[in-house]
Amino acid sequence: MGAGWALALLPLLFLGLAFFWPLLDVLRLGLERDGRLTGERVLGLLSDPYVRRLLLFTLGQAALSALLALVLGFPLGWFLTRYRFPGRTLLRSVTIVPFVLPSITVALGFVLFFGRSGYLNRFLMDLLGLREPPIRVLYTLWAVVLAHAFYNAPVVARFVNASWEGADPSLPEAARTLGAGPLRTFLTVTLPLLLPSVLSALALVFVLCTLSFSIPLALGGARYATVEVGVYLYARGVLVDFPRAAALAMVTLVLSLALTYLHLRAGGGLAVPQRGGRPVPRLPLFSRKRPIRALWLLYLLPAALVFLGPIGAIVADSFLHPAPGGAPPTLHWYRMIVSPAWNPFLESSPWGAVRTSLLVAAGATALALLLGLSVAAVLRRIRSRLLETLLMAPLAVSSVVLGLALLLAFRRPPLSALGGEWAIVVAHTLIVYPFVVRAIRPLWEGLDPALVEAARTLGAGPLRAFRTVTLPLLGRGVLAAGAFAFALSLGEMTAVAMLSGPGVMTMPMAIYSFLASRDFGAASAMATLLMAVTALVAWGWDWAGSRWLGRTRA
Amino acid sequence: MLELVGLWKRFGGVTAVADFSLTVPQGELLALLGPSGCGKTTVLRIVAGLEKPDAGRVLLGGRDATPWPPERRGVGLVFQSYALFPHLSVAGNVAYGLRGADRRKRVRQILELVGLSGYERRKPHELSAGQQQRVALARALAPAPEVLLLDEPLSALDAALRKELRGELRALLKRLGMTALYVTHDQEEALALADRVAVMREGRLEQIAPPAELYHRPQTPFVASFLGRANLWPGRVVSVDGDRAGVEVAGERIPAERGEAREGDEVLLFFRPEWAKIGEGPFTAEVESAEYLGDRWEVRARFRGLPLVLISGKWASLPGGQAIFSIERAQAIHPAL
Repeated sequence: MGAGWALALLPLLFLGLAFFWPLLDVLRLGLERDGRLTGERVLGLLSDPYVRRLLLFTLGQAALSALLALVLGFPLGWFLTRYRFPGRTLLRSVTIVPFVLPSITVALGFVLFFGRSGYLNRFLMDLLGLREPPIRVLYTLWAVVLAHAFYNAPVVARFVNASWEGADPSLPEAARTLGAGPLRTFLTVTLPLLLPSVLSALALVFVLCTLSFSIPLALGGARYATVEVGVYLYARGVLVDFPRAAALAMVTLVLSLALTYLHLRAGGGLAVPQRGGRPVPRLPLFSRKRPIRALWLLYLLPAALVFLGPIGAIVADSFLHPAPGGAPPTLHWYRMIVSPAWNPFLESSPWGAVRTSLLVAAGATALALLLGLSVAAVLRRIRSRLLETLLMAPLAVSSVVLGLALLLAFRRPPLSALGGEWAIVVAHTLIVYPFVVRAIRPLWEGLDPALVEAARTLGAGPLRAFRTVTLPLLGRGVLAAGAFAFALSLGEMTAVAMLSGPGVMTMPMAIYSFLASRDFGAASAMATLLMAVTALVAWGWDWAGSRWLGRTRA
Repeated sequence: MLELVGLWKRFGGVTAVADFSLTVPQGELLALLGPSGCGKTTVLRIVAGLEKPDAGRVLLGGRDATPWPPERRGVGLVFQSYALFPHLSVAGNVAYGLRGADRRKRVRQILELVGLSGYERRKPHELSAGQQQRVALARALAPAPEVLLLDEPLSALDAALRKELRGELRALLKRLGMTALYVTHDQEEALALADRVAVMREGRLEQIAPPAELYHRPQTPFVASFLGRANLWPGRVVSVDGDRAGVEVAGERIPAERGEAREGDEVLLFFRPEWAKIGEGPFTAEVESAEYLGDRWEVRARFRGLPLVLISGKWASLPGGQAIFSIERAQAIHPAL
């Protein structure tokens, strides 16, 4: 036991210095007035009509987004489970995309595709001979909801698909032999069996959309801001007010704690007995006897347009956006984003942003693996709810709050000795390592303890046994966790928005800056590069065996 | 009554069921016995309407049911995994196939029948494996199906419970006069439970007969060795006298029941270990091992190089590892073609 607590010291020390202490400082700042602690500021905020609007909008758009994601995603999950057709496996792996696609690229894709002079409007104006763009969703509630639904529908589809394929196919068959037709079987057996995972997916999407930052920031504008965006505006906006930012951060902290708790509750619902060994039978999609199945095209074609349009628009725009000196297609925008010249909008050079992103991701991945492995090791040895809560606490804190805490902490010694990039590295480490723990723990717990014992009886010390037996056996899991951590850090923009500064800029933040200055060509080129790097890493992650899904968002 | 006529079913390149025909008369309990992968579950699923046969017909009560969907067939199916709906209570499960106002009465009645009165409100996961099995049976019986199908219904239970339940199950089905098709790979279960047993091998029907006949007069080497222990020695019919034959095995002439064999046929001489008597008789075997099994000894030996299994109630030490034995009853079987 003593060795376990000694092992716990290192992660506790790191979390204490880089997480708990800065977070407590935010609480103190939010509560302190004239040298004493009081709840006045928080209560004052809650009666402020602007803040009330923020809260209402945040929860309202999250609920709408979750419902729309369900409507869009459930048929996709159904489709993937019940039909066989060429490209099914490919389509299934495409649903992993939202887990790694940086959300700022989604926002950019929406602007380029659905915007006033976006691809869709231009196409419809040409087609119908209109003078005015027919679709006007940008900078409304619906832009945010639609982007969130687009982003999260595949999450719902994956949940539905996984639980449907995990359910015993004998159950609907039993209903049929008892006299129920296909419709009654679906309504009284299949649907109730899927309900727990549908609710769990809804809860997850609701949490993700409540804490979403980049999409409302880029698509909602200042009018349709969420609480998270509100904290950012107080901390980094025109009128900097740290105590107000801290007080609002406390509100969102309570919100995210409550939602995380609710989500965990919903996840541990009804236990469904899993599979009788037989896979779910799949029906052929194209069948002469059942031409009605062709009706699926009515869902699939518009869905493909909504899902692929924004991403296609980014890639297309990076080559086709009009550039000074020369007709498209052009590589002008790619030349621009690798330029080392200072850009006043970025307060950095574009190439500097690419470099910083890669360095930060590498650093955060290394730290997160180290931290994640030691936390997994500690939790394996010591079974304590309190310790587990402490060691996994950053999971329940939103990235904006984390960013605010680190922003304040890195202004003061001892952390102020480190450069601004380090604040981002630490932030990303804290955001990412819980997923490393989640990925590695089940693998580690599944290892036969006799293997390490055998190594020990053969003369290996604890470190050598870990290095030569445990680590190689966890290898693929560690590799997958590392790739996932890297992709997550590359696409993360929320904490970066709080922590960026002159010369400290990453790729997603650069995309946002280009987008904000309506420099679409550069934004598209940078986004295409980011997506390419992320896709490469994600492919490595999928290859190394994706074994978990969780609360994961850039 | 259930009739299956010339059923064929292929999955990809694998033939699961080949030219399979069978009649289960009203009120009969028929066991479909065979090793795993022999196609017996596929036959069951075809009867239930969960698989479409490539060729052949399913007749229920004399009417061609082949094109009917499962819900129209009036066939009850007890699944191997029970397939109890986890979101419904015991009563909800049993009532699922029932219509009309007297559903609750019927549920109570049928639960009483399987000995689960008072369990109406429980959820399936709150029941033991044996109780779940009873609920699955009750659910299938509740709509009073014309034919009841059972897919290895006892295989998920431990040995003692399996033995206890199979007696109960037989008594219950007989009391209800149910026409039933019972799939199993357990030969003891099939013999103990069924009125007749159909042995299946690689999609085909091998032999169908009442249990005692199947055990005592198997028609193929496969049936002989699948139901219990068998000695099978290659030989030749050298003489025929009515339904008796003389079979020459390893230079020794052994009398046997003739069956279908004719003089000069290459046959297998078949006898069960308990049909030979140890300690007396004309033959001498080299004993290789003897296992003490409590109520008997099982002796492995060789007779002129041929493997031999014998059973003995008593054990006397054998000089020089040899034993004399006689064969009281044997039978000539044609080897599989």
